[in-house]
Amino acid sequence: MSGDDELLALGDAALAGVAHGDAEVVISDVRSELTRFAGNEIHQSVAEQYRHIRVRLIDGGRTGVGEVRGHGDDAMSLAFAAAEESRRVTTNPDASPLPSDTGGAEGFVAFSDATDNATPERRAELVAVITDLAGAHGVNAYGALSTATTTTAIVSSTGLRRAATATQASLVAVARGADGGGYASRHSADLGALDVEALAHEVVDTCDRNQGATAIDPGAYEVVLSPYAVTDLLEHLAWTGFSALAVQEHRSFMRIGERLMDEKVTIRDDARTRDIFPFPFDDEGVSTQPVTLIDRGVCAGVVYDTPTAMLDGVASTGHSLPQPNTWGPLPRHVAMDAGDTPWKDMVGSVSRGLYITRFWYVRDVHPLRTVITGMTREGTFLIENGVITRPVKDLRFTQSIVEAFSNVLQVSRERMLELGEGESGVLSPWLHLGRFTFTS
Amino acid sequence: MRQISERALDAASAAGASYADCRVINRTVQNLTVKNGVVAAVELFEDEGVGIRVLVNGAWGFASTDKLDAASVEAAARHAATIAKASSRVNRVAVRLAPAPALVGEYRTPFGRDPFAVSLDDKVDLLLRTDAAMARIPQIEVRECSLEFVREIRHFASSEGAVLDQTIIESGGGLDATATSDDEVQTRSFPNSFGRHQVCAGWEAVEAFDLPGNAERIAEEAVALLTATPCPEGTMTVILDATQAALQVHESCGHPTELDRVLGHEAAYAGTSFLMPDMLGSFRYGSEHVNMTADSTRAPGLGTFGWDDEGVAAQRSVLVDQGVFTGYLTSRETAAVIGQVSNGAMRADGWSRLPIIRMTNVNLEPGISSLEEMIATTEHGVYLETNRSWSIDDRRLNFQFGTQNGWEIVDGKRVRLVRNPIYSGQTPEFWGSCDAVAGPAEWQMFGVVNCGKGQPSQSMHVGHGAAPCRFRNVRVEPSR
Repeated sequence: MSGDDELLALGDAALAGVAHGDAEVVISDVRSELTRFAGNEIHQSVAEQYRHIRVRLIDGGRTGVGEVRGHGDDAMSLAFAAAEESRRVTTNPDASPLPSDTGGAEGFVAFSDATDNATPERRAELVAVITDLAGAHGVNAYGALSTATTTTAIVSSTGLRRAATATQASLVAVARGADGGGYASRHSADLGALDVEALAHEVVDTCDRNQGATAIDPGAYEVVLSPYAVTDLLEHLAWTGFSALAVQEHRSFMRIGERLMDEKVTIRDDARTRDIFPFPFDDEGVSTQPVTLIDRGVCAGVVYDTPTAMLDGVASTGHSLPQPNTWGPLPRHVAMDAGDTPWKDMVGSVSRGLYITRFWYVRDVHPLRTVITGMTREGTFLIENGVITRPVKDLRFTQSIVEAFSNVLQVSRERMLELGEGESGVLSPWLHLGRFTFTS
Repeated sequence: MRQISERALDAASAAGASYADCRVINRTVQNLTVKNGVVAAVELFEDEGVGIRVLVNGAWGFASTDKLDAASVEAAARHAATIAKASSRVNRVAVRLAPAPALVGEYRTPFGRDPFAVSLDDKVDLLLRTDAAMARIPQIEVRECSLEFVREIRHFASSEGAVLDQTIIESGGGLDATATSDDEVQTRSFPNSFGRHQVCAGWEAVEAFDLPGNAERIAEEAVALLTATPCPEGTMTVILDATQAALQVHESCGHPTELDRVLGHEAAYAGTSFLMPDMLGSFRYGSEHVNMTADSTRAPGLGTFGWDDEGVAAQRSVLVDQGVFTGYLTSRETAAVIGQVSNGAMRADGWSRLPIIRMTNVNLEPGISSLEEMIATTEHGVYLETNRSWSIDDRRLNFQFGTQNGWEIVDGKRVRLVRNPIYSGQTPEFWGSCDAVAGPAEWQMFGVVNCGKGQPSQSMHVGHGAAPCRFRNVRVEPSR
């Protein structure tokens, strides 16, 4: 594994050979391991390490990209050769230039020695905490514990020179009994900060309470959503609406300055907060700025990369994916502001409704209207007169997120860091919503 | 490659492996995209590395590296053994593999013209002509078209003596035309959604798509959808085009027949299955018109190869026979659990990922009807084209799909275009209501290029042959 300085030096050396035009070199060293368990046994445990090199060349209104993983000492020259071949056939005179160093380089980076030094034995020990408890309760545990260290360096002929090393540890678990299951997860930069005991008790407890679910009629219900479920909603808003490109192409629900949601809803993207895998720069090397997306229910802003910023005559907010791309910028550190209600008090204020542990297979139905569909899974409970009375069978929902967020009754004081389906960090509270539509 | 695998297997054996296999893979990918008249991206990707899987003390370990020198490969093999030993301390049940012959051979995707021998200039030219054809329709807000070509050179060797070399070639392409109004966004895609239609074949496949020749028509359809009537609501007859039928097969037959899901290996991620082993041979999955197979010998599907990623030969297996559930997609480990041998469905997303059970080409076999006949004999219903939205529960029962396009059918005729159609149902009831499948003339191999499964996540290219098919009494509505 190389350090930041070694990768920067490798990039510098590569740039020294560029005779014409501008060049950007992105080098990533990845070391990732994952231990997976099923039926209280470890059934898959894997390790990978690799170096990925991406070269972008811009000259004469043409932009070329070459990428290489592997290939040893030839990797850099192969990447440059591929980028040059690519550049030869592109024609995009209006393509954005390489960004320059705009400062703000020294943001906090999520890193932990405990994660970086994690061994297969340590992961197996932590997994055993869950499988032992599940076994003692007569249920089976399933899930995965992963640890990863990634060093990323970006250098360019325009003077940009950034590098950072980050770690990530994730633990996801499902417990299944004879007639129902539970779910829990924890994520952190620091493996040592994962409260595995708490997760084990949460997942087994949810499983115990979710046995023998009975059917309930579909329809509109008042709901309390756990952070696992809220994360899906926030992630879909990020994918479909919070990108400047989506606004420019008229496919986003965002109408800047208009109130579309309840005033209790404030959503931000902040790559600098220590709560959401902080990382100081985007895939162009631009410093990632905090952006308020929804401010007390009002559409406040979207995220930019260099191409979309050029079109709108503003500065990039540092939310680029690898350039060039057709997807546009993406917020990858989304958080909903906390409210003032203890989450354990939320159920008490519901006369009849549902508590949703998590959603599953959530997909866009009509992105402009933020309509999504999906299922509930591993813990759907009926609330009657302020208490959870029984588990109910999983339901399909079809619901506009914006409409759901326009009827927010309570936002919890507590929040949890989750990984969305796109594996971006999302900091989510519990939400008490006035109406959520289940269709089958 | 053989030297690398020999080193890896020797090191694994020395570290205590009772079984080991090694995959050395070199992958080249070309991806070209034209968006709104400019060549937005031409990405050329080279990827090479080795993955080593070992069994030690009855537990699996897997390690991979992109460093192919002797010391690094041997270190990876030893690390795989260390991982397996750590796992074995937790496990109580030893892994057992169903027997499989140790095969030696070579396989190469059959193709007419090597897509990597076609110049980038010719590929860009095809995309620019496609874009220009879409641009004839001025109301189109976003025009995007792309091509992808993949060459994967795979070497597999096992401690049992298997040595297999394969070269897989994929060619794909597609277009998307997006029209917008103040309150509506409509996208039409061709030949399929998800960005492209891809097959194991050469350049000739992309030429056959005729992207430029279809671009203007597809763009016109996107514009027409902006003002089309919302899809009718109710319980009615649904006819799926072959692309949507392919996705329906993928989600409601392909995934639930993956035996690792049945055994709980994916319970915390991709989900489980409603198809349990005691249902084999007796469960009524669909009507007598429904025949489904897993067939990795059937060109040009994306699941076509010589051997799977644990060295089992490509083959055809029947999953659903005249509506009765008869088979699973299996691996050597999972097949042993139910007293069978593997039918060759272990696949990995490159050298850095562990092989897991994946679809090969899971096909709806052709029937004897035709789209024309199905429409002509439908009193009231909708004909639905090209997937737009898809969701299904973790056991693969409760589904809801949306398509880009719909046509309302009244008294045997298509009477009008309808927008934002959704249909939903339960898998056995839905396939049980199938009363017609079009014949071989309308049967075509499609595919899914983004099938997600496994942790770490693996994205697989899988094939699905399908033809238009008809279902009775289906819940249909417009998305609101």
